[in-house]
Amino acid sequence: MRSEMIVSSSLGRSTPWNGLRALGAVIRREWTIFLRYPSWIVSLFVWPIIFPMGYILTARALSGVDGSGLAQFQATTGLTEYVGYLAVGTMIWMWQNMVLWNVGYALRNEQLRGTLESNWLSPTWRFAYLLGSSVPQLVSMLTMLFISGLEYALIFGVHFSGSLGLVLLVILASIPAVYGLGFAFASVVITAKESNAFVFLVRGIVMLFCGITYPLAILPEWMQAVSKWLPQTYIIHAMRSAALSTEGFGGIAHDLELILLFGAFWLAAGFALFNRMERRARQTGAIGQY
Amino acid sequence: MQNLSQPTLASHARALYALIRKDWKQYWRYPLNAVSSVFHPLIWIAPVYFMGLTFSTNGKALGFAQYSGTTDFMSFILLGTVLENFINAVFWGMGFALKNDMDSGVMESNWLTPIPRLLILVGHSVTNLIVTAITSAGMLFFGGLVFGFHPTGDVLKAFVPILPMMIGLYGFGFAFAAVVMLIREANSLVDMSSFLVQIFSGSNFPVNALPRFLLPVALALPLTYGLDSVRAHLIGTTPILPLNWEMVLLVVFMFVMLWVGVASFRSLERRVRILGTLGQH
Repeated sequence: MRSEMIVSSSLGRSTPWNGLRALGAVIRREWTIFLRYPSWIVSLFVWPIIFPMGYILTARALSGVDGSGLAQFQATTGLTEYVGYLAVGTMIWMWQNMVLWNVGYALRNEQLRGTLESNWLSPTWRFAYLLGSSVPQLVSMLTMLFISGLEYALIFGVHFSGSLGLVLLVILASIPAVYGLGFAFASVVITAKESNAFVFLVRGIVMLFCGITYPLAILPEWMQAVSKWLPQTYIIHAMRSAALSTEGFGGIAHDLELILLFGAFWLAAGFALFNRMERRARQTGAIGQY
Repeated sequence: MQNLSQPTLASHARALYALIRKDWKQYWRYPLNAVSSVFHPLIWIAPVYFMGLTFSTNGKALGFAQYSGTTDFMSFILLGTVLENFINAVFWGMGFALKNDMDSGVMESNWLTPIPRLLILVGHSVTNLIVTAITSAGMLFFGGLVFGFHPTGDVLKAFVPILPMMIGLYGFGFAFAAVVMLIREANSLVDMSSFLVQIFSGSNFPVNALPRFLLPVALALPLTYGLDSVRAHLIGTTPILPLNWEMVLLVVFMFVMLWVGVASFRSLERRVRILGTLGQH
C-alpha cells in the first residue's frame, strides 16, 4: 500500500497536480536564469528610454529649427504633441517584440542547448514548458511597462492625462493576444527552425501596419485593410486613448472588445499549433535537430 | 610539414580561412535568415518613412533640410542604415560570435589552439562583413525602388572615410568581445549598445538636431564623423565640420581605438583565464 501511494504521486503517472508541479519547476528555472544575467534586468530600464528616443529625435529633426515640419505634422494628423504618441506606440511594440524573443524562443533555446528532447521524454504536461517560460516573462514585462510609464513622464515629459485604471484594463485585456501570438510563434519556430527570420517577419508586420509612429490614415488603403486584422493596432489605439486622452471608457470600449476577441483566437491558435507541433515531433523524431 | 603547433604566417592564414569558411557555411545553412537580412532593415526604416511623410510638404521634408541641408530624408536614412549595418557587423561579428561559441561549447577548445586570439575575432567578423556587403547592396536596390535613393556625389570619395572608420571599429569590437567574455551575455549588451551608438552617431537624423546637452556624446563618437563625411560626399548634406578635419579626426580615432581595444582585450582575456570562466555561459 505504501509503495502504491508513493507511485501515485510521482511524475510517472501524469495528474493535474503533477502538471502544476512541473509548471512550478519551469517557472522557477526560468526565473533563476533571468536573475542570472544582470544585463537583462538593466535592459528593462534602458530600452524604454532608448527605443522611443530614436523616433523622437528623428521627429525632432523632421520638425525643423523653426518648427515648420511640426506644423505640417499637426495639419496632417490633427495631433498637437508627438512625444507621448510615439512613446506609447513604441512601448507596445517593445512588449510584443520581447514576447516573441523570449516566449517564442523558449522551446527553440532548449533545442539549441540540447535539453528539449530529454525534457520531452519526461511524463509531464508538455505545454507547461511553454506556459512556464511565459510567467517570469510576463512579470518582467509588467515591470517594464511600469518603468516605461515613469521614465516617459520623468525624462520625456509626457503628460499622461488619461486614467491609470483604464491603462491597467488595456494591459490586462491585451495579455491573451500578445502571449497567444507568442505561443503560436514558439510552435512554428520549433518546426521551421529559422527563428530569427520569423521574429523579423512578425515584428516587422507589427511595426509596419499597426501605426507605432504614425496615424494609420497616412497608410495606403491596402495597408489600412491589413492593419484591421492585427490586434496590436487596437492595443496601441486603446493604450493611447487610455493614457493620453480624457475620453474615458467610451474611448476604448470598442478596442477592448476586439482585443479580447483576438486574444481568444490567438490563445486557441497557440494551443492548437503547439499540439500539432508536439504530434509532428513524435512522428518525425526531429525535435532534437536544429 | 608545417602544422598548427608551429605557428607561421601561412598557418595563421589557413586558420583564418577555416574560420571564414565555417561561418560562411553556417550562415547560408539558414537561407530564410539570409533573405530576411535584406528586408529586415527596410522594415525597420519604413515607420520612419511614413512618419517623415506626416512632417513633409509634397514629399519634401523642409524642416529636416534646415538641420541636414537636404530635403531627401530617405536617402539620408538609407545611407545611414547601410553604414550602420557594417558597424553592427563588427559589433555582432566578434562579440556575438564569441557568445555563440560559448553556448555551443567550443569556446574553450578554440581558445586552446595556437592561433592568436585577435585573429579568431577578426575571422569571425570577415564573413559578417562579406554578407553585410551583399545584403546592403540588395537593401539599397530594394530600398531605392520602394523609398527612392538619389546619390548625387562621388562614390569613390565617399569610400575614403569608411576605411579609417571601419579599422577603428575593430579596436572597439575587440574591447567589446572581451566584455562579452567576462559577463557571458551578449544579446542585451549588443542590442543596447549598438542602438545607442546608432542614435548618437546620427544614423537616422543629423546630430545637430540633438538637444544641446546630448551633442557632446555624438561629437565624441568617431562614427559620427564617418557617417557625416560619407553623406556629405554622396548626397551633398552639410557636414558638421570641414571634411578635411573630419578625415584627420577619423585617422586619429582609428589609432586610438585600435590601441585601446587591443589593450583592453588582452587585459580582460587574462582576467577570464585567471577566473577560469572561459567555458561557462
